[in-house]
Amino acid sequence: MDTNIDSEDISILQMSDSFFPTGLYATSSGLEALSQVKKLKSKDIFQYLDNYLQQVIGPSDCTALGNAYESCKKRDIASLLHTDESLYYRRIIEETRTASVRSGNQLLKCVSTFAKNKKMLKEYQIAISTGNATGVYPVSFGVVTASLDIPKKKAGLILLYGFAVTIVGAALRLGILQHFEGQKVIHDLKPVILQSVLENIDRPISSMWQFAPGLDILQMKHENMSSKMFIT
Amino acid sequence: MTPKRIPRVGIGGPVGSGKTMLIEQIIPILSAKGYKAGIISNDVVSKEDAERMRRNLAADKGLLPEELVIGVATGGCPHTAVREDPSINLAVVEEIESKHNYLDLILIESGGDNITTTFSPALADYFIYIIDVTGGDKYPRKRGLGIENCDLLIINKIDIAPYVGADLKIMERDAKIVRGSKPTVFVNSKTGQGVDTVVSSIISDVLFEAPPKTSKSLVKN
Repeated sequence: MDTNIDSEDISILQMSDSFFPTGLYATSSGLEALSQVKKLKSKDIFQYLDNYLQQVIGPSDCTALGNAYESCKKRDIASLLHTDESLYYRRIIEETRTASVRSGNQLLKCVSTFAKNKKMLKEYQIAISTGNATGVYPVSFGVVTASLDIPKKKAGLILLYGFAVTIVGAALRLGILQHFEGQKVIHDLKPVILQSVLENIDRPISSMWQFAPGLDILQMKHENMSSKMFIT
Repeated sequence: MTPKRIPRVGIGGPVGSGKTMLIEQIIPILSAKGYKAGIISNDVVSKEDAERMRRNLAADKGLLPEELVIGVATGGCPHTAVREDPSINLAVVEEIESKHNYLDLILIESGGDNITTTFSPALADYFIYIIDVTGGDKYPRKRGLGIENCDLLIINKIDIAPYVGADLKIMERDAKIVRGSKPTVFVNSKTGQGVDTVVSSIISDVLFEAPPKTSKSLVKN
């Protein structure tokens, strides 16, 4: 019998499955706004995701995830709450901030129904219910992957891969890509995802950063569009 | 402490079937009886429905505060948002429950075709599906999850049935065959005809005839 596989591997598959309920399928992270001012092609989607992963999701979300994960393993609720607060205030787009908090809280609720090791998960939920934390998604993701004993770097890969799949899914629904092109974009992003995780998963929270002002402005414009399918 | 669950009614139906107008008729009747409701509107491609209800029910008629009409973008997947992944809708419901626990009811509107639309039981306690006569009198006979499974089927726009060649008797007969003992109501949302019956069903089958939770006005004068 092959013993090189275990239930944590299945947890990895479960958490990376787009069927897992988080509500993130309703986000396009500004892509819908961009598609209304510029005719986009497959290579543009790659470029968009390349920039987003390297300038925002890697140094910001992946860093927050790594710190939240370590806090859980060390059972350090104070540092977990500090990471939560640090990331929440970096979400400068209101719709994105609200959606991230809503998805994060639903993620915690869902995993709390089946995770065995959930002491920190419960403590985090209590902190949220008492107004001492927000549950912003990447931090919640760090908490649940630690609870499920998914290795930290694998958790980082799932987060970034999930983001890429969400945006490719949005591009498909917006009619920018066809389905084979979507998979090619995801394939081409593999080195970017890998590098972003390795560069950022162990970054201290004090040096977390993000810089994508063009993307921020796009999302701000998108918030006020009267006709749209996506949450920014 | 977790706030007490507020009863939730899901209202689904194809685009243009009259969901928003039905809600605009239901809310004043509920309000006249003292019941207070919040509204979540799952928009497929625009904020139009939520903005219209905010304007008509909150700003113009003062029947509820504007903050109690909440629009939810669905990424082009309205079925998903109320069925297999209702995460965002549930999050909004929980926010309403924690801030406005005095409400008697939450109405959750979502566009969706008759073939696949249903509400997750985690999201809605009672499911209303609305169609209209313009699809022809074959509509109930053609079945679909919405028509078969909803707790209350509404057939809207009955005033124009003669003009589109839809026989209401055939629709009634076929709805009975497809739905068994579950009720079907014929409505004209524009005039309000039949909406009293819809409200009575909500009060008896969702609220179990409970009196309104509070007599306090929600809207500041």
